[in-house]
Amino acid sequence: MSSGPAPGVDPESSTFAANDATNRALARELRERLATAALGGPEKSRIRHTERGKLLPRERVNAVLDPGSPFLELSPLAAFGMYGSSDFEAPAAGIITGVGRVRGREVVIVANDATVKGGSYYPMTVKKHLRAQEVALHNRLPCVYLVDSGGAYLPMQDDVFPDREHFGRIFYNQATMSQLGIPQLAAVLGSCTAGGAYVPAMSDEAVIVRDQGTIFLGGPPLVKAATGEEVTAEELGGGEVHARVSGVTDHLADDDPHALSTVREIVDTLAPPAPPAWEVRPSAPPAADPEELYGLIPTDTRTPYDVREVIRRVVDESAFIEFKAEYGTTLVTGFAHIDGHPVGIVANNGILFAESALKGAHFIQLCDRRETPLVFLQNISGFMVGRDYEAGGIAKHGAKMVTAVACARVAKFTIVIGGSFGAGNYSMCGRAYSPRFLWMWPNARISVMGGEQAASVLATVRRDQLDASGHEWSPQAEEEFKAPIREQYERQGNPYYSTARLWDDGVIDPVDTRTVLALGLAAARHAPLDSPGYGVFRM
Amino acid sequence: MTVETGPNRDDNDDNTVLIANRGEIAVRIVRTLRRLGMRSVAIYSDGDPDSTHVTVADDAVRVGGARLADSYLDADAIIAAAQRSGAGMIHPGYGFLSENASFARACAEAGLVFVGPPPEAIEAMGDKISAKATVAEAGVPLLPGFAETSGQAMSDGDFAAAASDVGFPLLIKPSAGGGGKGMRIVQSAEDLAAATAAARREAKAAFGDATLLVERLLQRPRHIEVQVLADRHGNVVHLGERECSLQRRHQKIVEEAPSPLLTEEQRAEMGAAAVAAARACNYVGAGTVEFIVASPDPYSDQASAQPLEYSFLEMNTRLQVEHPVTEAVVTVDGSPVDLVELQLRVAAGEPLPFSQERIVLHGHAVEARIYAEDPANDFLPTGGPVLLLHEPDLPGVRVDSGISVGETVTTSYDPMLAKLVTKAENRPAALARMDRALSAYTLLGCGTNVDFLRRLLRHPEVRSAHLSTELTEQVRADVLPSTAVHPPLECYVAAAIGRQLSLHRESPSGNRFALPDGWRLGERAETTWRFQGTTDSAPVPVHLRPDDTAPAGRAFDATVADTRLGRVMVDRCAAGTELRLTFEESSVRYQHAESDGEIWLGRDGATWRLREARRLPSLRVNETVADGTVRSPMPGTVLSVAVPPNSHVEAGSALMVVEAMKMEHTITAPVSGVLTQLSAHPGTTVAMDAVLAVITPDPQNPDPERSTSSHEEHTP
Repeated sequence: MSSGPAPGVDPESSTFAANDATNRALARELRERLATAALGGPEKSRIRHTERGKLLPRERVNAVLDPGSPFLELSPLAAFGMYGSSDFEAPAAGIITGVGRVRGREVVIVANDATVKGGSYYPMTVKKHLRAQEVALHNRLPCVYLVDSGGAYLPMQDDVFPDREHFGRIFYNQATMSQLGIPQLAAVLGSCTAGGAYVPAMSDEAVIVRDQGTIFLGGPPLVKAATGEEVTAEELGGGEVHARVSGVTDHLADDDPHALSTVREIVDTLAPPAPPAWEVRPSAPPAADPEELYGLIPTDTRTPYDVREVIRRVVDESAFIEFKAEYGTTLVTGFAHIDGHPVGIVANNGILFAESALKGAHFIQLCDRRETPLVFLQNISGFMVGRDYEAGGIAKHGAKMVTAVACARVAKFTIVIGGSFGAGNYSMCGRAYSPRFLWMWPNARISVMGGEQAASVLATVRRDQLDASGHEWSPQAEEEFKAPIREQYERQGNPYYSTARLWDDGVIDPVDTRTVLALGLAAARHAPLDSPGYGVFRM
Repeated sequence: MTVETGPNRDDNDDNTVLIANRGEIAVRIVRTLRRLGMRSVAIYSDGDPDSTHVTVADDAVRVGGARLADSYLDADAIIAAAQRSGAGMIHPGYGFLSENASFARACAEAGLVFVGPPPEAIEAMGDKISAKATVAEAGVPLLPGFAETSGQAMSDGDFAAAASDVGFPLLIKPSAGGGGKGMRIVQSAEDLAAATAAARREAKAAFGDATLLVERLLQRPRHIEVQVLADRHGNVVHLGERECSLQRRHQKIVEEAPSPLLTEEQRAEMGAAAVAAARACNYVGAGTVEFIVASPDPYSDQASAQPLEYSFLEMNTRLQVEHPVTEAVVTVDGSPVDLVELQLRVAAGEPLPFSQERIVLHGHAVEARIYAEDPANDFLPTGGPVLLLHEPDLPGVRVDSGISVGETVTTSYDPMLAKLVTKAENRPAALARMDRALSAYTLLGCGTNVDFLRRLLRHPEVRSAHLSTELTEQVRADVLPSTAVHPPLECYVAAAIGRQLSLHRESPSGNRFALPDGWRLGERAETTWRFQGTTDSAPVPVHLRPDDTAPAGRAFDATVADTRLGRVMVDRCAAGTELRLTFEESSVRYQHAESDGEIWLGRDGATWRLREARRLPSLRVNETVADGTVRSPMPGTVLSVAVPPNSHVEAGSALMVVEAMKMEHTITAPVSGVLTQLSAHPGTTVAMDAVLAVITPDPQNPDPERSTSSHEEHTP
């Protein structure tokens, strides 16, 4: 593919200008929301926090990271609009997670934000903590827990405590990751109450700040209620007690900076990471300007455009070696490099037909055999439907691609750049297919089908029922029936609805796509690959 | 040696000259030897085998260990080195053995030509007392004063009586000394006894000879010296004077030729006196006769008409540091002279190639000595690695330098690093040229006096030539470099950006996490660097937020402490030695080098050293750190108690001994303070962690950056 002027992209056109304005506005909205969430809890809580001589959680993250290290934050808009009256009732779900560099090596950081309801765990907090651990597990990254949390958010204990993917899973993960040799490190920078006490206790190595960090199964009020004993938090589970007497922690620090530099020193002592799973070559920027993505992305997900134009603005030198360019043309496949990392790209360029699915299954196996990471650019309204297509076995062909996606052992990365509807989501490595990371663009939409489609399907069913019972259904009544369905799909298909619920790892500015993928690839590079193997492909 | 230009001797060995010196003078001598087609041999010790003078010479020989006494002052070793290297001549330079008569004698005995005066002349002029006696006979004026006979101290009473004859203020000097060491100024009679005793002690310690001499101290004295040149055939000429009144700690830092004070007649008069002094000691070679000159009364309208009062100070029987200003202004038949060449010719027995009448002074020259010293710290020597060195390469500017990048300046040797000499039609132009030359001189890694010199030479008193040997001290406060105070904010930014960019330089490829641009999904994260601008100051934080609209490392939003400086664009030369910062409304260019946690910035002759504080500042003062509770490290028995209750103990001092598992553990005080509680007594069985004693700590130093709660951070 040439790197000359982009065919089909005219920066002078009115469409380009309109797209550009819309998408820049979306990016601006994203940045504003990120900035608001990054503030953390209410100002009052933040002031109280810093007055206690504690660093704010993002300052803690910055201090533990190498100077200038990028931080690939996960789901910074988690819990957006989910709790309470404000969209930011629990900013970032009260926990900051992500991948960054400490002493020259990538680690997963999980930092409680005590300015958000004392750092207690909402359901989304638990989900986000577990997702960070999953990222650590899949990518074999050491975990650093910066603990400052009062434990479960009691008003919602039923959604936090009992289930398989609830609070207890945090410690299960710590044990099993430690078992796999993935280091688990904790710094106790505040409360670690009840179940939270197990975060440092389950860690391989833990630091505690004296007169600040506390670890106990039952706090002073509970102790008094249970046994009548009166004891201060510091006497019960302060740094002196745990460093000197109980041995729950291994290092005693004077304050946050001391504790965080101790964590950095501990990282220095870890065993080296596994050898890289693929070789990299020198990075080269794309020949086509990534900023043009704003003018390229249609304002309506239903408007078709050539996904190669997106690829050109993401990959090194805009160089893309296409595979089966003339076959199954609604799916674009090929090889490229992103920041020096080799990747196979699978990108939608229209609805999926049998040929596209077969091509996708073939290409995914190629990448798997070549141990080349896969990048999915998802913009799919679904598989083709209709009598001929069903008879042609589109279901089994789709199943082959789904099998290939599910079984490929190479690192997979998914970016939802447009629609993510129906079975297309599966074959294009949706969340259920455990890509190492999954991000959404602000213009993206995700739902089992499009809102209009869903309204039409439900209206048809309804009309059939009404027809059967001999009732009339006026066009106006039908529209009144369809409108709330469309509205529900639009609301629930919105990327912020998705990212609040951790269906993805974050909404990203389209111009950041290359950076985010580069960071994801770097984070994923040291996880060893399993042996290749597939389930039965239905032929 | 070429017959046409070199000293005319038959012995082949005389084509080779061993330079018994180092630094800039050795380099300068090599330059002349090379021009004359002669071979140069440098010497070195174990302390400086890779020095510049060794590198530039044709050959180099080791003379001994790093100590001066084993190398540059070891006459036998140097003579052996000369013989080993096939040299026929030894040029001693200045300092070291240059005015050592026995060395001159030993050279002659070894069949080597000593490029300097006969030993007798050195001896005659080496002792200040005999020197004065010698020149006085020749009619050279002397300052009122008296001297003790060598080895025979006068009684306090005689000394006081003699001193009051001389009159106050007066100066006491060691007879054997030089370079200002052991000198004492006495303002009035009541200070005399103490000053005399101190001067004796110092003279004894420094020179092994407590003999003193006393001189009248002139008010606002000026130091003017005359360059003389004599051959073995009885010819003596002078090459005009140099004024060396700008001194610090009694040592010259700026010299000029001619003196702005002298008229042609006065020049001739002093020149004649100098020639007389040289004749009086049968001088041969290049020498300098130093005079002290009273400043004319500045309030007199007839200042220039006042008679010149000058007195003989001493004669230096060697080439002077400041000889280049003479070379810059002296012409013979319109051609410049090379004093080293003339030294070599005279040493080889040639007659002087010109007579007094042919010597013409033209223009004005200024020399500034660049020292590794800290003007803000009483001119104490500095030292350090030469990380970056830019010497001016400008018309009318001569640089005599003895250092190169990669060398380390140590206090083992003379702290003079280089001399800048500027020449112009007149004094103001020469001074202006010097200002530019100094501003173009950058040495990073070792503190220098460059900025001080630049400020000194801009001082109105210096510009108007109201000079005196006290002037530097008088105007010192006005001209102390800005480096003595906190560096400007831009310096902190430059230091931080230098550190930030060094992260980029260290980054391996193939990992986006290694690109230290603070990337985030939203606004980029800032990095914080902390620097101490002066040794004792609190670290100043500099926050840099990479600007995501520019390529990595090219633009930042900078905040120093609480002052936001806004967007700064960065241009760095490929070698990283130059940083240009473009702020909203200004642009600054720094020379830049880093070494071992220190960031060096140079700009227009000024340098700043910022020390990176690798500690994250402590967030709170924590009382428990100073906890004076003493606990038993293990279960055991108290064997002995070393201190009684209520006594004061120092941190780390032994309090008691606890025996456990057949081992004795000495328990030490965790803090300094008063032992207010002692619960352990000999024989007491104690549990692990049992409280043995409590010390009430001394009142805390209210320093928020206590070492116990600040933490060394290793920079990646």
